[in-house]
Amino acid sequence: MFRYLTIGLFAFTIYILFSGSITLYDILTGLIVSAIASVILAKTLVKEDSKVIDIRRLFWLIAYILHYMTIIELRAHLDVAKRIINPRMPINPGIVRVPYKTKTDYATVLVSNSITNTPGTVVVDLDEDKKILYVHWINVKAIEPDKTYEYISKTFEKYAKKIFD
Amino acid sequence: MSKKNLVITSITLTSIVLGLIISLGVLGPIPLTSIRPLGLFYALFMANRNITIEVFPLIVNPGNFWAASTEAITAILWDYRGLDTLFETSVFFFAIIGSIALFRFTEKEEHEIRKKTHENHASEGKYLGLSLITKTITKIILFTIIVVSAAIALHGQLTPGGGFQGGSAFAVAPLLAIAALSRFYLDDIGFKKNTMLLLRTMGLLIIALLAIIPVVAGIGSWQAYIMQNQPKEWAIIQLFPPKGLGVLLGSLVYYNIAELLAVGAGFTIIFILLSIPEEFYKKIIEKEGVEHG
Repeated sequence: MFRYLTIGLFAFTIYILFSGSITLYDILTGLIVSAIASVILAKTLVKEDSKVIDIRRLFWLIAYILHYMTIIELRAHLDVAKRIINPRMPINPGIVRVPYKTKTDYATVLVSNSITNTPGTVVVDLDEDKKILYVHWINVKAIEPDKTYEYISKTFEKYAKKIFD
Repeated sequence: MSKKNLVITSITLTSIVLGLIISLGVLGPIPLTSIRPLGLFYALFMANRNITIEVFPLIVNPGNFWAASTEAITAILWDYRGLDTLFETSVFFFAIIGSIALFRFTEKEEHEIRKKTHENHASEGKYLGLSLITKTITKIILFTIIVVSAAIALHGQLTPGGGFQGGSAFAVAPLLAIAALSRFYLDDIGFKKNTMLLLRTMGLLIIALLAIIPVVAGIGSWQAYIMQNQPKEWAIIQLFPPKGLGVLLGSLVYYNIAELLAVGAGFTIIFILLSIPEEFYKKIIEKEGVEHG
């Protein structure tokens, strides 16, 4: 039940943002459209009802967005910018294995998209059976799985598990 | 100079030269900001706002004149060009009918195809297709596409959007689903061929009825209009929703909803049919040919 409401609310927000106006017409049609979209798709988007209303997960999501968008992004941007500006171009590129321990799809996607969105690292592939992400790294500091985990995805996993697992 | 550098240099040069030409006014004078009241003038005329405005050098009351639509193209063209749209829709209707006739399966054959292709298919909830990341993100994008396409169609009376545009945007959703998640995802969310066929027929029926109802009802009188969009006080049948929902609607809003159904579902049918592996449908069509031929 809650998943239908949450997904419906999500749809309604998208509808109003895209329309760019809030008149009675927008609200009425928005409600109808989001109800239909939610009935069709909520079951494929959310599997566990109880997770949706868990307020702690929402809190962790907001905390993660704040942490990621400020500290993590700034640090990574500065690091890559330095490498670009430096005339000696101090890079040591390579693809490394990074293990992941998340259980749900959303958590795994959050971790890998966070890695990709951070300058300097890009997820090129993932192995679902071995639970390994293949990550292209602009400056390879280590190739051992436990060390790459420490360097690249430890913080992301900490949050992803609390938000989605 | 290498080929790549040459290309980059020429693109840069072209854009600089074009920018210069346009800003120097060679391609025609650049509109001044003082022309902006003209836009306001048009907007107020079309919206039929019963207020007096001052647009240099005139003081006009747009309430005396009206186009009964807030969207410029609709205001000028709809009542005259509505028939054109009706014929476009018919062309699309026949195109889809043609493709369905090409891929003709009975219910039983379709079930067989589903079973056969399902054999090399993993368990429920796990779809073949691209990586876990792509699949998860595609599910979310698919959802937003459907909502946004409905918004495009439902605001067709205000913006350059409309039913066909909304339907075409909608059609991207099943296409993405087939590429990233396999066609069985469409089955699971209820986007089946026959459901889509029903929706499409419904959309087309609504369009046809909306176009014809005023004429049928107006037999014996001249005061009814085929495909009427804008309100006409002297017409017997007023086929538009009342004012008061915050925006001015013509009958266009119904056409847009119906067209969204017809086009969106029509394209979805085509994509579903095209995603059937060749080895299956060729066999069935050939067999049919032998039986009848």
